[in-house]
Amino acid sequence: MTPERFGHLADAYGADLRRWPVAEQAAAQALLASAASPVLDALRQARELDQWLDSHQPAPVPAGLARQIAASAPRATVRSFWQRYAGWLSPAGFVGVGLAGIGAGMLVVSLSLPLHRSPDALPSIFEQSDAEIILNTPAEEIEQ
Amino acid sequence: MNEPDPDIELLTRIGNNEPQAVDEMVSRKLPRLLALAGRLLGDADEARDVAQESFLRIWKHAANWRAGQARFDTWLHRVALNLCYDHLRRRKERPWDDAQELPEVIDPAPRPEDHLEASARSAQMEAALAALPERQREAIVLQYYQELSNIEAAALMNISVEALESLLSRARRNLRSDLAEPSGTADLGRGKP
Repeated sequence: MTPERFGHLADAYGADLRRWPVAEQAAAQALLASAASPVLDALRQARELDQWLDSHQPAPVPAGLARQIAASAPRATVRSFWQRYAGWLSPAGFVGVGLAGIGAGMLVVSLSLPLHRSPDALPSIFEQSDAEIILNTPAEEIEQ
Repeated sequence: MNEPDPDIELLTRIGNNEPQAVDEMVSRKLPRLLALAGRLLGDADEARDVAQESFLRIWKHAANWRAGQARFDTWLHRVALNLCYDHLRRRKERPWDDAQELPEVIDPAPRPEDHLEASARSAQMEAALAALPERQREAIVLQYYQELSNIEAAALMNISVEALESLLSRARRNLRSDLAEPSGTADLGRGKP
């Protein structure tokens, strides 16, 4: 690296070699070790401006801003049992009501049909002879 | 550039809805974003807007961030820079507001004595920064204050490294010249092309 190149880089990047292009840092360090006067002058001039730049302190973060920004992030919420299953409970409710309706309909239909004239259709608490009486007695006689 | 991106792990945790990760991201990036926007715009309220909007973009992209693309911090600078450009563009469209929006010339008065000199020096530096042409200010803010590499800063500004070095040299020369003048006489020429 020539002293001119060193001066150019110091003029652009300042006095801190860590801010310089990585590929040039070793050569710059080597040149600096030789302590040539133009190199040191360039570095001193750059350092003065660096100190000025460092003197500028950005405004502090306004109170409450960090909290406000954090609150703008989507956060996972802890949901209750009902919130968690509300999605499928509602359709399940409809299905349940539907099934209950079908069951009720089948019951009504089965009650409105005449009994099958077979002793097997009666509950087992009836004797066989009772079954014959029940099934063979005309309806008019039963009503009387 | 082959170093692992230091923000990846935090982004993953944000994607997993970890509240603590959100707080960590805010404390890690908010001062950096405010400093960037504050120095480029010279206006605390506008800098605050830029920071808030930048974080909304972070929340939007965190869950789907893929390692291997641009470094997250570089991407974030791109987002914030674009938002700053929008603010600067709006200023140019409303030139009558310019006089009102000039950064305040810092009043070096009532401050604790220990801070008086530092405060005055900081104010002088702020005025000198504000007086720089936009592109020179952008170059010095990205390279010096934000500590981006020359390659990252040049890429963000869509220029070559050589062009960046030229902008930096001119910026430093102008600053040196402004700061050599007696305090308070630096021209607040913010918005120069």
